[in-house]
Amino acid sequence: MKNNQHEDDRLTAMVAATATAPNGDVKAQVARATVEIEHLSKWYGDVVAVADVSFGIGPGITGLLGPNGAGKSSILKVLAGLLKPSAGEVRIMGKRVRSDVQLFRRIGMVPEQETIYSYLTGREFVRWNASLQRVPDIDGATQRALMTADLGDAAERRIGGYSKGMRQRIKIAAALVHDPDILVLDEPLTGTDPVQRVHLIQLIHNLGAEGKTVFVSSHVLHEVERLADRIIVIVNGKLAAVGDFHAIRDKIDEHARMIRVKSTNDRGLASMLITTPHVASVRLDPDPQSLVVEAEDVRAVYRLLPRIAREHGIRLFEIAALDDSLASVFAYVTER
Amino acid sequence: MILTTFPTLWLTLRQFAAGRATRVVAFFAVTPIMFSLVYLFDSGGSTATEFLGSVFNEFLAPTIVPLATLILATAALGNELSDRTIVYLALKPVTRWRLIVEKFIGTFLVTGVAFIIGIFITWALVAFGPETPASSVLPAMIVSSLFGVAAYGAVFLFFSLVIPRALLVGVIYILLWESLLARYIPGIRVLSIRHFMQSIFVHWIDNSRVTIPQPTQLITAIIVLVAVVILSLILASLRLRQMNLD
Repeated sequence: MKNNQHEDDRLTAMVAATATAPNGDVKAQVARATVEIEHLSKWYGDVVAVADVSFGIGPGITGLLGPNGAGKSSILKVLAGLLKPSAGEVRIMGKRVRSDVQLFRRIGMVPEQETIYSYLTGREFVRWNASLQRVPDIDGATQRALMTADLGDAAERRIGGYSKGMRQRIKIAAALVHDPDILVLDEPLTGTDPVQRVHLIQLIHNLGAEGKTVFVSSHVLHEVERLADRIIVIVNGKLAAVGDFHAIRDKIDEHARMIRVKSTNDRGLASMLITTPHVASVRLDPDPQSLVVEAEDVRAVYRLLPRIAREHGIRLFEIAALDDSLASVFAYVTER
Repeated sequence: MILTTFPTLWLTLRQFAAGRATRVVAFFAVTPIMFSLVYLFDSGGSTATEFLGSVFNEFLAPTIVPLATLILATAALGNELSDRTIVYLALKPVTRWRLIVEKFIGTFLVTGVAFIIGIFITWALVAFGPETPASSVLPAMIVSSLFGVAAYGAVFLFFSLVIPRALLVGVIYILLWESLLARYIPGIRVLSIRHFMQSIFVHWIDNSRVTIPQPTQLITAIIVLVAVVILSLILASLRLRQMNLD
């Protein structure tokens, strides 16, 4: 109980700290947003999924970041009208989403789940979505959406035979077919291969640049880094941070982080790194054979490593952040 | 054409065409044919009209029509709820009332067509026999069955939105209530869809040897079944509007 109170205090402090970031004034954002979430709570029996969350989203891309089970999907489902809020309110364009089904003409959602009507072909699924949205030129809109999602070649195949990445893309095509103003994307990059990922990231950037309100969730930090400038961080159902991604990342980077380095001379590299002010500690890891660096300033260490290696004829095979997982990042964020 | 005008109905028909449930319903719908074949070999002293009356009153109305309808009605939205594809329907600018009505029509069309075919073949086999049944038997069987399909379809569609294991509960309801209790306990007879189906049937064929205990007036039976359909669809759409579609 005491720990929970302590954590609440830390979270409140973090929200207050990040709310002053360039785009971080929560009240001002709510006032000018196309999507407004005010004091939203959602609980399932005794389990609290979302606790008193308020923020606003305007045109452009906003990332919703949080570890698995943080409450991201619950927020998106309440936002899309699939779930009733237990408390609080969600408004889209000033209207309560569950009170007016016509709002769905302006919303496109890519849900997290993979299941789609497996007996339909990709084209039939997108066409069906266009029909339900009463799109004037159903065939034209369907074709455009399929091409946008890069599924032109697979359009006549049944969705049951699609790969995970293709399923993601057909969901995106279906969400785009009526050219919505607001796009809600729940983990849209899941299951996509690197080429598809680049394509989808570019597509999401284009949609944001067109002035659409794009709200995209992910539990992978580097995905959100590539997708959104503004992020909302959710931890344990609570708002942990709101604001510019880089401002939040800088705060994270102020903390020591662990980096694994594989090279031709780990021992030599360790002796040189430990003398720099940016490194707190080093240790040699036998399995896998590598050097584990605890950085005081991770960016400085990333800059330093190639230089030291070059100067001393050491070949670097791998530099990988050991604690770049979202859970670690959240630990840093919430510990502040 | 159906896709652009009634997209939910189109999806429901595609769903039924792809699923095993429709094949099970088709099997149920053609089971009376077996009785006709037996009747052709040995009529057991029954006239053709009496025989077809028995098939309807003892077999189709209490068991086969409700069971077959239950399968598709609970699958119409139940499958989408269980595999969560319901989100693709729910996130559209379509009223919940319209979604429910199109799902109901899909269930009614597929189950209804299966029974029209099954009943027609059953009747035709008997009609080819030594004695021709009364001319009112075929339309009476078909129309009464369609009323039953509509009423059971709407009720079970509503069930699928309020009961997690609607299929199982529906089977228990049919076997315990419709086929047993409401059939033999006079006081609760009027709380049975089967009773009103049979009332329409016996009034239509108007044969003193084919009857049920205390049949309800034809017009009353029709009004009750139509009211059951409308009320169930209203409740289903209200329920869908209130549901968390997780």
